[in-house]
Order: sequence, then structure tokens, then C-alpha cells
Amino acid sequence: MSDATLTAVRPVAAAPGGWFRNPWRKPRFLQAITIGYLFWSLVPVVIAVLFSFNAGRSRSTWQGFSMRWWTGDQFDSLFHDPALRAAMLQTFKLSTITVLIAVPIGTAFAIGIDRWHGRPAQPANFTMLFSFVVPEIILGVSFFLLFTYVIKSMIPLGTTAQSLGLITFQMSYPVIIVRARLLSIGPEYEEAALDLGAKPNQALRRVLLPLLAPAILASVAVVFADSVDDFVTVRYLSGAANTEPLSVKIYGAARGSPTPAVNAAATVMLISTMLVIVLGYLLYRKVSKGSGDANVASFAQL
Amino acid sequence: MASQTLDSGSKRKRRKQAPEAEGSSGALYPKWYWPSFTSPGAVWLVFLFLLPFYTILAVAFGTVDPAFQTPLPVFQPWWWSFQTFSTTLQKFYGDPAIFQQPAIRTFLYVFTASMICLVVGYAVAYYAARYAGKYRILILILLVSPFWISYLMRIYAWQSLLQPDGYINRFLEAIGVIGQPVNWLAGKPITVILGLVYGYIPFMILPLFGSLDRINQSMLEAGRDLGAGPSQTFRRVTLPLSKPAILAGLVIVSLPMFGDYYTNNLLGSTKTSMFGNLIDDAVSESGRGPEAGSLVLILMVIVIVPMLYYLRETKRAAEEA
Amino acid sequence: MGEGHRDLSRRTFLRRAGAAAVAVPSLSAILAACSKPGSTSGGASAIASIEIARPDNPVTLPLNGDPIAAGTALEAGPLQLYNWDSYLYKKIIAAFEDEFNVQVDLTTFNNQEEGIQKVVAGQVQPDVFFVTTDYISRLVQKDLIQPLQHDMLPNMEATVWKTFWDPGPWYDTGWRYTVPYTIYTVGVEFRRDRIEDSVAFEQGYELLWDPAYKGEVVYYDSYRDALGMAMVKNGATDPNTGDQATIDQAKQDILTLLNDQDGVLKINGAFALLPEGQFTVAQSWSGDAVGAQFYLPKGTSPDVLGYWYPDDHKGLISNDTITIPSTAKNPALAHAFLNFLLDEKWGYINFRDWNGYQPPFTTIDPGTLVSDGVIPPGLSKAVVAEDMFVEGLIQGQLTPEVDKRWLDAWGEIKAGG
Repeated sequence: MSDATLTAVRPVAAAPGGWFRNPWRKPRFLQAITIGYLFWSLVPVVIAVLFSFNAGRSRSTWQGFSMRWWTGDQFDSLFHDPALRAAMLQTFKLSTITVLIAVPIGTAFAIGIDRWHGRPAQPANFTMLFSFVVPEIILGVSFFLLFTYVIKSMIPLGTTAQSLGLITFQMSYPVIIVRARLLSIGPEYEEAALDLGAKPNQALRRVLLPLLAPAILASVAVVFADSVDDFVTVRYLSGAANTEPLSVKIYGAARGSPTPAVNAAATVMLISTMLVIVLGYLLYRKVSKGSGDANVASFAQL
Repeated sequence: MASQTLDSGSKRKRRKQAPEAEGSSGALYPKWYWPSFTSPGAVWLVFLFLLPFYTILAVAFGTVDPAFQTPLPVFQPWWWSFQTFSTTLQKFYGDPAIFQQPAIRTFLYVFTASMICLVVGYAVAYYAARYAGKYRILILILLVSPFWISYLMRIYAWQSLLQPDGYINRFLEAIGVIGQPVNWLAGKPITVILGLVYGYIPFMILPLFGSLDRINQSMLEAGRDLGAGPSQTFRRVTLPLSKPAILAGLVIVSLPMFGDYYTNNLLGSTKTSMFGNLIDDAVSESGRGPEAGSLVLILMVIVIVPMLYYLRETKRAAEEA
Repeated sequence: MGEGHRDLSRRTFLRRAGAAAVAVPSLSAILAACSKPGSTSGGASAIASIEIARPDNPVTLPLNGDPIAAGTALEAGPLQLYNWDSYLYKKIIAAFEDEFNVQVDLTTFNNQEEGIQKVVAGQVQPDVFFVTTDYISRLVQKDLIQPLQHDMLPNMEATVWKTFWDPGPWYDTGWRYTVPYTIYTVGVEFRRDRIEDSVAFEQGYELLWDPAYKGEVVYYDSYRDALGMAMVKNGATDPNTGDQATIDQAKQDILTLLNDQDGVLKINGAFALLPEGQFTVAQSWSGDAVGAQFYLPKGTSPDVLGYWYPDDHKGLISNDTITIPSTAKNPALAHAFLNFLLDEKWGYINFRDWNGYQPPFTTIDPGTLVSDGVIPPGLSKAVVAEDMFVEGLIQGQLTPEVDKRWLDAWGEIKAGG
């Protein structure tokens, strides 16, 4: 691909590899690895989606095409099984609640930490980052024990507890993303606004927030996607069956004997996440007028 | 007159005559302004992050209700009993050391999986950063996509393929590698390790990609000008420049693996149980609440060093930026 | 906190202690803490106001209140059920919803301990709770289940075996709190297309440990059943034994099963694994074996399913029960549901068309189940008859010390080899 043209003058374009004069075999090798990796990474998921249309019960032997696990079967299909329907609803409910609460708090936190150089800032910042790297099972078990044996009557297990747990776990994402963006923005714009006579809140609202809009959008997308997929915390904090979202149902079924309806449920999760990402990306493009690279770079910051 | 107290609890909406306080930006922000932004998050963290951690201590050093064996947390440190904790600790080295194998296995699996992630991830990131050419955006999108596909679904997809009658066995039989179907899901370490790799490698690729992408072209040219061949340039310029990303990637990948239990539950068996399984089993079974708390504490001690390292590096990177 | 903690944890420890001073511990935790927490080994004196029941030592549970009045009007629902996963035919639920014009929600647990934990903690508050016999007295003692109003359950005497209502089962004489749900034995299920009946019947339990089936063996992820069967295999006659040697031997055998035989522990949906062909031998409840016929791939005959249980009936046998928790919001409706399940028609449909677990009905003749085609001929040993309970080994509640020994052994098994 890129080792083809080897004009001695360095080429302008995005083919820096061609700059090495030798037909360096490595690109072929690396190319094979990359393509192999992409294949290995994505093909199983495609197969899983396809099997949701299997006519038989198996998820490993193809027995023909059928919609029975989506809508056909009266008791066990995704849209007729009340348990799976409730699970779909719960997934979206939890994700929405989490986004609505975690993103504003996280964004505010990021702004505050970035601008505030007082002494308590460091431990607060530290704790926030801590919640990002800690293995989720630690948080999940802590919450479970807290809600079950300490704050018993005040917060029953279920949507409330799950939301609280999810928000805590997800809060660090907006902080990190927004902070990264803040670092690249710098304080000059607000200072200019303040010099021109704006009050602090005005400077914030009309200068800083619009500049942060891309990062906030990215946070919304990330938090939503991660909430849909989260299951460690949510599983421990589930109460009755109708508070179990799709992720928990899929895990439970996968440990037992799943039917292709589980594949269908997983596909629904996949589609919803993809939709939100795409939507976020389109809005991001519109708001930031940047190129696609900027979007990816911000994700690369994670 | 308007006070200048550093009141971090005040609400953001309150407007005051802004005194000439030194905000960090040097501009005209009141002293309470920025702290009030952090306070919702900080308060949340205190109650829903630090408090649960304290609950872990209370449960680990607490006792159980005799009738149903449910854990009874004890909050006063002077009533704490370290009996269960020391018993649990002894299960790692004492006699019988029933937790020793899972612990050793966990370190082994995490190390192996992290190394595989590193090698494969570096190759892929390197290719995507330097050679992708016009396919760059596409490859990038494909590399990022596993992030947005649920981890569960990806492992579940593999579980389907690894069934005795699944496509992996059919493929291997077709090309003659194996004679009859192998039960990959009956406690084989290779399955669990590759499952861990599969699940976490995207977390390695993206930081590496970001770092390799940012390596200045002029650095490489300088190396070449000074006579270095391709592999030398790689070894002495590219590799050192990407070292922070390698370390960050290793930490991001290995930390969740230490607490992972679901990969083993879906792809392995008790033969390949990991530390996370010990915790998960203890939480679900009656009478083992304090033991679960003790195990969580032990896990925290294990991961705290890499975590602190990562946090320190992030802070340093942020300050340099 | 002992040896070698770092500066950081000391600081955060102090901070946490400060936070804890602010936090509000629950009252019971305060009381428990104030009164110097009891020994972790669990004083036996703390519980037993109700003695432990055994088949040869039946127990009458004390009434912790009055049952609801016989004429109570049916509530509007929705009715909350809390049951094992895949243990109740959805069609039965739909039929009940139609007949009584209410909505029914089913919450499931994976194993009994999980179900108990959530009910005890109040995290799930069902109207109907399916539970094994060994938890009944503890639930009564903690006022977690309520006495039943017999006048609202006419089907009990109409349909169920007399022993369950006169004098009543050994764990609940006078059937004050429970009605039976299903009866079952614990045996060995196998694929008849891979193992000859004669071979299987001769080996019995040892079939699971036969190296010929390495990698194709499934065992239950449930400590009573798992350890219990290993003990019976080794000749134990007391399924509630606390003898450490017996427990250790059973534990060793299961570890051999998992490590050398590459066996897997499963509980959910385990019944579908054998028919789907992934496994050849499985520890199985009789109902799982019978119900497996509904999970066969298209075109596979039910004849491939086989089941073994000792001919002298000296194996594990039991029944499950249905109870109504004290906090039920719809107690009258719950009674109606229990009565519905005891209806000879609906209970039978549950069994015949989906569940595979026999209800103890007088209207079901065990002798004709095979000939009527309800149970495939290969599974003839899966039929449960009343006289089997005489010689059978019935598991009951364990004392805390004995339970701890079982759980310790189980913990070691789950940690892997």
C-alpha cells in the first residue's frame, strides 16, 4: 500500500511509511496482524447477531432462518417475554438516569478542579481518578453491602440503588474527558470575557460551555454506552426481576442455557449503543465544526 | 460587605458582588466560585465512594447473624474482630492453602494476557498510526468499535463459537488441527486467557495509538539522518517515546483483569477460577459476608500499587500538558 | 489492620473513620455493635427456639400470627412470585392471569441461598415464595412467612397426597405454613445413545467419575445436592451428617470430578445441556431429566435420555414447598395462586407439558406415567412414588456448626484445584 511510491523527496501525504527506502517487509506483516485482529475482534459479534435469527434453539448450529426469537415465539421471544421486555426498559431507564446526573456533576467537577488550585483540590481529584481505575467488583460489592446491610430501609435494591452505583462509577468519565478538553482550551477566553465586563456566570455560560460542548457530548455518548453495557455493579444491586437490565439477563442466561432470544437481546443493546454513538458523533461534528479526527482523538484520550 | 470566606459549600447560583479574589486564572472570580463546582461531585464521592469502602471494613471485621448467616457490619473500630480476616489470609499460604491456586492463577493469567495485549496491541496500533494511509479513519473506527459493544456480548459471542459443536471446532477439524471436537469451555486456561485478551485489548490499543500517532515525524527523520536503520529507529526512538503509553496501557488493561470473574464464569470452570471468583462466590453464599469483605480488602491492597502509579503518571502528564 | 499498610491507607482510614462518624449506621448494626458482637462461630443458643425437624422427628411450627380471614376479598395485584429460574410454566401464569384478571410478575433466583438472602434482607418482597423444606422453621422464627388459611385452599385435600395434610409433612405438621410444590429424586442422567442402559445402571453414581466421559460431565452448583450425592455415593446413610471425615471425603471426590474429570458446575439451565448434546453424564433432579425432553433438537427422539436412581430407593429424595411471606401485599390472591397450582388440571399441565417435576397428586398414577407417554421409557427410574419416601434419604436443616463445615468444604471446591 504505502511502500509503493518511493520518490526520494518526502511525500506530503499521510503515508509516512513510504519514507523508508527499503521495501521493508514489516508493513505486510503488520498489515496481516491488523487485519487478522480486526477480523478476530468483530466477526464473532457479527455471527452472534446472525444467530439471533436461528430457527432452532441452538446458538452454535445453524438450523435455518426465523424470526421466532425476535417476535415469533409466544413465550420466549424477545418482544413477548415479559422478563426480556422489562429488561430492555430497565436498561434504557438506567442509562438515561445515569447520563442525566453523572454528566452535569462530572462536568462541574472537572471545571472546578481545573480552575481551583486550593489544597483540598488534590484529594478530591485523586478520589475521582481513583474511582476510575478501581476494579469494578470492589465498588460493586461495597455498594451491595452498603445498600443491603447498612442503609437497608432507606434505599431498597433496585432502580434507585442501581442508579446510584452506576452514577458513582461513571462520574469519572466526564471528568476525564472534560478536563482533557479544558487543558487544551486554556483560560484565555474566559479571561477575555471577564475583561470585557462579563459576570462570572455569564462568562461560564456563554464562553466556556460552548467551547466544552464537544467534550460534553462525547461524555454523554461514553456514559450512555458504558451504562448500557455495565453489569457488575448493576447485578449486585438488582432487586426483583423487573429491575434486572438486559446485561444482567444476558449474563444469567449465558451461564445457563441461553436461547437465541439472548442473542436478540444483545443485538438490541448493540444497536442502541451504536445509535447513541453515531448520534453523538453527528452532533459533535455540527457543534465543533471539526474533522472526524478530533472525535477519535478525544476517545483515544481514554 | 461581601465576605471573602472560602466557603466551598455555597451554591453556585448565588450571586454576590464579586470581590477581587484571586481565582487560579488570575481573573475576577470569587473564592468560593470554583470549589462550589467541585462540591456536588465531592459530596457524592464521600457518601457513595468512601462510605461503601468503610462498609467493606465494617463487614470484613464484623460478624454474622446466627440464624440466616447474613453479615452484620460493625462500625465501631473498637468492636472489630480480625478473626475472619486472618483466617481468610491464611487460606492463601497456610494449610490448607485453598486460595493459593486461584491467586497464583490470577497473577499468571493477568500477566500473560497483558503481555499478549501488549504485543498484539502494539503491532496493530503501530500499523494504524503509521501505515494505514487512506484507510486510517476506517481502521480507527473499527478499532474503537469494541468499546461500544458490550463486553458481555463479545464474550458471549465467543462462548457460542467455542461450544463443542461451534465453529471453532468445526474450523479446526476442517483444517486438520484436531481430530475430534475439543471442549474449550471445560476449564482450559488458554480459553480464559484469550478471553481476557479479547475483552481488554482495545484498552491497550487506543492509548498506544494516541501516543504513536503523536510521535513527531521529525524525530524519526532525525534518527534516519544520523544513520539509523528501520529497526534501530524503532528501538531507540519510537519505543522510548511510546513508553509512557505502554505503561499506562498495561495498567489500564491489567487492573480490571484482577477483579474479573465473569470471563471465567462464562468461558472457564472452577479449575480456572480467579481472584474475582473467590469474591463473587463469597458474596453470593450465606455466612461468608466477612470473608467477602476480607477478600475485597486483600484485592485492594494488591491493586493499590499499580493504581497509585497510574494516578501519579496521569497527574504528571496533565501537568506537563 | 495488622501488618504492612501504607501511609495512604492510614490517611484514608482516618478519613473514612471520620466519614463513618457522620454516616448513620442501621439500628440493628448499632445494637449488635453495642452489645459486643457475638462469637463468629454463631452461638447455637441464639436460634433454636424451634428444634430441627427430621422425617423421624416431625415438628409442629408455632403460629406467629393468625392466617388471613377466610372470606378476604381478592386483591387487584400485581402478584409477585419468587421462584427458581425455569421452574414454573409460563402458560400456567398466563392462565391464572386470564382467570383472575390480574397481572403476575415472576422474579427468579438461581439457587436457594440467593433467594433466602434477598427475602431475609427485604430486598425482594414477594407474595408467593417457593422454598426448600430446610428453611421453613427459620423463616417462621423470623416471622418471614405467614400461616395459611386452609379454607382458601380446598384443592389441598382434594388433590394432594394425604401425608401432606393429615398429619402433614415432618417439617410442618398440620401444614400451617406450606403446601408442597413438586417431588423429586436426585440421580444420574445420561445419554442413552452414548452409554448402554446396563452399563449405566451398574455403575450408578460412579458414572459421573468414569474417566471415559472426561470433559462431558456436569454437576450441580448447589452445595447440599453436590456434597449430598457424593456422600451417598460413598455409602453415607445420613444426608444431614456433620461427620467431618464424610464431608472431607465427599469434598475430595468432587474436587476429583472437577479437576481430573474436567467436570463443570452448573445450576441454571443445566437441564438443557444433556439434550443439546454438550454433555453425556449429569447429576440431575428427576424433574430436570423428564423436562429435558422439551429441549431436544428437532428430530431427536426422547429415547436418548436416560436416568438412574438406586433400585433400593436409598438415594436423595425431597420435595419443594410454596409459602406466603408475611409482607405479602396480596395475601388472598396469593392463596388463590397456591390453590391454582394445586388444581389437578393445572398442576398436571405444569408437569406434563413443561416442567417435568411431578406434583404429589393423588390424581396422578406413577404406574401409568410411562405407559401414558408422559415420561419417556428411558426415564422410567425418574418416576417418583409415595413409597419411595420411606427408604429415601431426605435432606433437612443443618445446625450452624454442621452447616459451616459443609460450606467450608464447598468454598474449597469453588476455589478450584
